[in-house]
Amino acid sequence: MSTLRPYRNAVRASLTAALCLSNFASQVAERHNVPEVEAKTSPELLLNNLVVARNKDERVLIEPSINSVRVSIKVKQADEIEDILVHKFSRFLSQRAESFLILRRKPIQDYDISFLITNTHTEQLLTNKLVDFILAFMEDVDKEISEMKLFVNSRARSVAETFLVQPEAKLGAITDRERGKARFAGVEG
Amino acid sequence: MAAPEVHHLFHNPIADHSFSADRKTLAIARDTAVELYSRVGNAFKLKDELKGHDKIVTSVDIAPHSGRIVSCSQDRNALVWEPSPTGYKPTLVLLRINRAATFVRWSPSETKFAVGSGDRVIAVCYFEEENDWWVSKHLKKPIRSTITTVAWHPNSVLLAAGSTDAHARVFSSFIKGVDARPDPGVWGERLPFNTVCGEYLNNSAGWVHSVSFSPSGDALAFAAHDSSITVVYPSGPDQPPKAIISINTQLLPFMSLIWNGEAEIIAAGYDCEAFRFKGGPDGWQLSGTLEAKGRPGLAGNREESALNMFKQMDLKGKVNKDDTQRNTIHQNTITMLRPYEASGGAVTKFSSTGVDGRIVIWNA
Amino acid sequence: MSIIQQHTAASLSDAWRTIDIDALVEDSSVNFDTSTLHPPQPETSEAEVRQINGQVRQLLRGGDAEGALRGALETPVYNGPDAAKDAHLHTVIEVLQSIKASDMTPMLQRIYATPGGSECLDVLMKYLYKGMAATTTASGSGDSSAPRTPTSGVRGGMTPQQTGFSQVGARAGASSDSTGAAMSVLLSWHEKVVDVAGMGCIGRCMTDWRKV
Repeated sequence: MSTLRPYRNAVRASLTAALCLSNFASQVAERHNVPEVEAKTSPELLLNNLVVARNKDERVLIEPSINSVRVSIKVKQADEIEDILVHKFSRFLSQRAESFLILRRKPIQDYDISFLITNTHTEQLLTNKLVDFILAFMEDVDKEISEMKLFVNSRARSVAETFLVQPEAKLGAITDRERGKARFAGVEG
Repeated sequence: MAAPEVHHLFHNPIADHSFSADRKTLAIARDTAVELYSRVGNAFKLKDELKGHDKIVTSVDIAPHSGRIVSCSQDRNALVWEPSPTGYKPTLVLLRINRAATFVRWSPSETKFAVGSGDRVIAVCYFEEENDWWVSKHLKKPIRSTITTVAWHPNSVLLAAGSTDAHARVFSSFIKGVDARPDPGVWGERLPFNTVCGEYLNNSAGWVHSVSFSPSGDALAFAAHDSSITVVYPSGPDQPPKAIISINTQLLPFMSLIWNGEAEIIAAGYDCEAFRFKGGPDGWQLSGTLEAKGRPGLAGNREESALNMFKQMDLKGKVNKDDTQRNTIHQNTITMLRPYEASGGAVTKFSSTGVDGRIVIWNA
Repeated sequence: MSIIQQHTAASLSDAWRTIDIDALVEDSSVNFDTSTLHPPQPETSEAEVRQINGQVRQLLRGGDAEGALRGALETPVYNGPDAAKDAHLHTVIEVLQSIKASDMTPMLQRIYATPGGSECLDVLMKYLYKGMAATTTASGSGDSSAPRTPTSGVRGGMTPQQTGFSQVGARAGASSDSTGAAMSVLLSWHEKVVDVAGMGCIGRCMTDWRKV
């Protein structure tokens, strides 16, 4: 039974419900307007966190608050190669966070990549498109990682091939010389 | 039913709007200014810009009789704009708050207005003749978080307020020398300043986004972030309410609600459309949306031809459904509803504004 | 006397810099009393939960899955020890797993139509999210007090020493498969509950301070 569709649906529904944001000025610092989910200075302005999980390696954490939502994604990492690839990939993206608008520079603990969506984003962008973006992102990361993994594997294979061919050739050279020696010995003998 | 009147003013969020009594002037809170539009034929033309705040203006209200405009902003200030032959003259109000001012409304008597704030107080402001200055008195207890909304009772003494501490409350804002002593009613008999006449909390405790007294003032409705609408019918001072009816809907939360007579409520919010509720002390029900479904322009878009679909798949490599447009008139959250035209105790038209920069005048 | 002589060891170290002074101000917004955000809930002890769970299981064995589901959802453990909450989550998931996929939607619709049904589905949604959160945190990360669902018994971080070069063993190990199966039940219920109770149901899961 495939869980991808219900998983995506659950993420979509949870995100849509969480993205009900409003412009809310800080009640701690005067004349400031900060994402409450990051500031965490007023417990009543934070909502319960939602976790949508497909299995223990793939999950999405949604931390909603009155004027911002933090969405964190744990990408599937079945082995060490995927582990490294995901790490490199998310690092690459995080370093270019400003071109992604909603990407957070640092993922929160235990997750690979985090988004921070504030009320300005939901004001300027369509909410359903924001949700689409995150879902497309999740899909693309999975695709990208498995593609890269295949690529790494095939590269490893070709490296191994070239690496293993040489000693064989060397081995051939040695036997040739040996044979030559034998021939020489034969002539001598 | 005639189609609603839609005006797309700009591409910024509208925090609040207010019409003058003759409905010719429209005040819009946009970014850090209040914009005044006047009706020219079928359109609204920008007439004046009231600049005095340096942070986002959160709320604006025009007093119907005096024509005074009050605005408040996240810069902690409220300004009263006095109409004069040479334009509007601002007066700063002595709010004595240290956080954002979030919401402002004139009392029906127009001698007072209430400003909700992030400082966990409501400033009830009135004009002090001897100092020639708007001063305020604070409603403080038992507010524990930012005030998101306030609404006046028709008697101009009782004030309902919603807060992010998930409570809707009814206070007395009686100010000696300004108010006439109110008649005792269902909310209380003696009402000195800061009497808490009622405090209500939903089981699922969402932030309260909107409160409103029914036209008679004998019932209170509030909308909260748990997608619910709650109607309270008080039975008298120091008595438990006759009925508290809470409707948990399947929709996204409502940001604003208005009463239409005593038996109907119209609410709108994150679903970008307005919904109608009907009921009374025995129960309330969601009776449907006010949006006319299946408008001709959009219905055509929905059904794409197979040829078109394959063309899209060929060109862009994917099925491209045009979903950059919502199926509703408002394209983003509706943040404010206001009665526009009323006759015989019922609202015949109401206006809505939202994050998408549109103002829509609906037939109720 | 100079000010410097009044220094103590405590003021010379810089530990005081990390003190959260906001927390010391009683009136500070950090100290908001969140218990004011829900009506007081009766406390449920472990024994009571066991009794309820027994009744629910009995209904389930008797073939009355709907009654079992209702029974479990009408008695959520809002206030009780963690063990009691976990036991109830366990029971709810057990009931959910025993219901056929084709029966889900009609059953939810019947429950929703009854008085108090909307509340029941809100509770169900809370358990679905809790179930998903519990399974994932059980794999060693995050909140260690979080419970585990029965099917997540197999633990283990990385499947030991997979090189990744072998294509055969590259799929996640057996532990992931069993949690995956449990998740798939929760996810398909999630989908059905949203169909019946709408977005409002998820919204209430977020706002409600009565936590299961």
